[in-house]
Amino acid sequence: MNKRFAAAAAAIGGFALTLTACGGGTGAGTAGGGSASSSGAAEKVTSIKLVAAEYSKENTAAFWTKFAEAYKAKTGITLEVQVVSWNDIDQQSSTMVQNNNPPDILNLNVYASYAKDDLLWSADDVLSDAVKSDLLPNFVKSGTYEGKMYGMPDLSSARALFYNKDLFAKAGIAGPPKTWDEFVTDAKKISALGNGTVGYAMPLGPEEAQAEYSIWMFNNGGDWKTDGKWSINSPQNVETLKFLKDLSVTQKVTQNNPGKTNRTDGAFALFQSGKAGMVVGFSPLAGTLDKDAKVSYGTAAMPTKDGGTPSTYGVTDYLMAFKKPGNSEAVKAFYDLYYSPDQVNTFIKNEGFLPVTQSGLKVFASDTKLTTYLDTLTGAKLTPTDDPGWDRVKLAVQQSIGAAVAPDGDPQAVLDSLQKQAESGS
Amino acid sequence: MTATAPGSGAGTSRAGLGVTALWLGPALALIVGVVLYPAVELVRASTSDYSITGLRKGAAGADNYRRVLEHPDLSTVLLNTVVWVAAVLVLSIVISLGLAQLMSKEFFGRRLLRWAVIVPWAASLVITARLFMLLLDYNYGIVNQVLVASGIVDTPVDFLGDDRFTMPSMIAVGTFVTLPFTAYVLLAGLKGIPDDVYEAARMDGASPWQAYSRITLPLLRPALMVATVLNIIYVFNSFPIVYTLNDRNPGFAHDTTITFMYKLAFKSAEKSVGMSAAAGVFNVLLILVVVLAYLRISNWKEATDA
Repeated sequence: MNKRFAAAAAAIGGFALTLTACGGGTGAGTAGGGSASSSGAAEKVTSIKLVAAEYSKENTAAFWTKFAEAYKAKTGITLEVQVVSWNDIDQQSSTMVQNNNPPDILNLNVYASYAKDDLLWSADDVLSDAVKSDLLPNFVKSGTYEGKMYGMPDLSSARALFYNKDLFAKAGIAGPPKTWDEFVTDAKKISALGNGTVGYAMPLGPEEAQAEYSIWMFNNGGDWKTDGKWSINSPQNVETLKFLKDLSVTQKVTQNNPGKTNRTDGAFALFQSGKAGMVVGFSPLAGTLDKDAKVSYGTAAMPTKDGGTPSTYGVTDYLMAFKKPGNSEAVKAFYDLYYSPDQVNTFIKNEGFLPVTQSGLKVFASDTKLTTYLDTLTGAKLTPTDDPGWDRVKLAVQQSIGAAVAPDGDPQAVLDSLQKQAESGS
Repeated sequence: MTATAPGSGAGTSRAGLGVTALWLGPALALIVGVVLYPAVELVRASTSDYSITGLRKGAAGADNYRRVLEHPDLSTVLLNTVVWVAAVLVLSIVISLGLAQLMSKEFFGRRLLRWAVIVPWAASLVITARLFMLLLDYNYGIVNQVLVASGIVDTPVDFLGDDRFTMPSMIAVGTFVTLPFTAYVLLAGLKGIPDDVYEAARMDGASPWQAYSRITLPLLRPALMVATVLNIIYVFNSFPIVYTLNDRNPGFAHDTTITFMYKLAFKSAEKSVGMSAAAGVFNVLLILVVVLAYLRISNWKEATDA
């Protein structure tokens, strides 16, 4: 082998390697300098770090900066804040744990896997009784893993059916549908208006497929787990997914290719532009619609299969605390301050979400725009976030439900395969 | 790349050795920090067992490698990668040959053309990809509006959601962003061909086509090879375009090995740092083998010495 060739090959190999090494990261960056000193278990920390998810560009960072000032004033402990976009936060948090350098507090939409890995403080250690008893019971339940609460809810949201009042009037529909049959009839009337109008904008693409499917599933009496066992491929669930496929393939009342439409830039965008008759939305969408003042919309409970009592799909995100030497008191002080009504309700109000505490419910009750959601919030059904297996099942659902509603999709097979995956994983 | 070890043996005295170390230091530090350290970490991660949270639970031996090789979508991903790299490479070289020819001629507006060609290179790939997402959108995209308004199609084309169009759309965008670099490398190559060779050819009665195929192309060979090798690596490793244009599609139907690696770590049900690292090691080996094979076949030394 000649030397020149070898040198060129080595140089190119190195180049390729460097690119590949960077390729996976897409600018993740590691977890910055360690915040807490870990020199001794007894020694108390003088600074803790919060990694928070960015709910909105305008409000999130501003809130936490002010919060850090209040925290410092109250406790004398520095709170280092890092706000990360939802797109990057999984990657960042994984990198931090991988490098054995987690933050003290992490704001994320899952927690059970972290609890399972024994990385977190439980509420017994870091949450005062007054705070715990103020939290809404269904969120305490969803934050509890193996009898202990690890996932402290930071805010919540509940879904509702959004409908375009102008399109409803044009199609001669009196009010929002209460049953699936009415839903199909109404959606057909709206699609028949033509001009690119669709009855129902259905986002089953990878972004939030589990949410869109969940709310339909709950309103057909189905669930992800029944009596502690996975029931993903139960007859009702198969029926629900078949119904969603029919909406697109047979009835043709959805937008083109719903299995490959994401929520934010797909279904919501269609509704915001006035082209969709119905969409499943939540309070931040209402905020955007109010700001645009372009679409006259109403909100209603989801239709159920036979007109029974509707269920809503609730979501809560979590503030979890990592066990690090000497940080338990600082963490406890963090929660005490966060759950004081001034802080938690301000945060939630700014971001346009829903409360997680009994006291918060009372504060928000005066806002009539939120009535649709607040009425259903305490009864809202959540995905099984208390099961670490769900963290993986959720990803599998996001990557496969969309395929089930394609013209050649097979709802039964997709749900069977998810059921198998869930059973083998947990 | 950076300076290679001189091996001159000049520094026999202690002082000489120190000076040598001083001069070599930065380059060595760079190689160790940027190439060796990540490589070692990558291999270490690929042989470790990670929890879904990223917590290292112990050694995994070759398990991660086995799981990547047994992945049901691996063949789809590999085929996608071959199609993606080959199509973007061939299209961008062919189009760039024409563009470089055009840019090398004196004409009114040449400066404008040169600027226009460099612009896609200057824009961030993520932004370019997002822009094309808007242009190609089913409901509002201007491409579809033009196609429908002009009667070419009756209903809009789902460029990014329809399985038949997703890869071609990604290739079109990939080619668009690869053109500037390729065209400029070839332009530099063209500038390096002396005029008197063409003059001699004309005197001997060569037709323009003969001049092009017998003189321009052979003399462009070093430039073509540089463009090819760098583009293979660059297109193979390209993440933003494939990821952004494909982000609405569930599963791995249109992923290349690079986005496959990313999804294994963060998006798919596997969510495994170890598996992703193993896929990363395969990626490095794959690109190394492809590039070395290309260099061998094309006789790199002979061409670059010419």
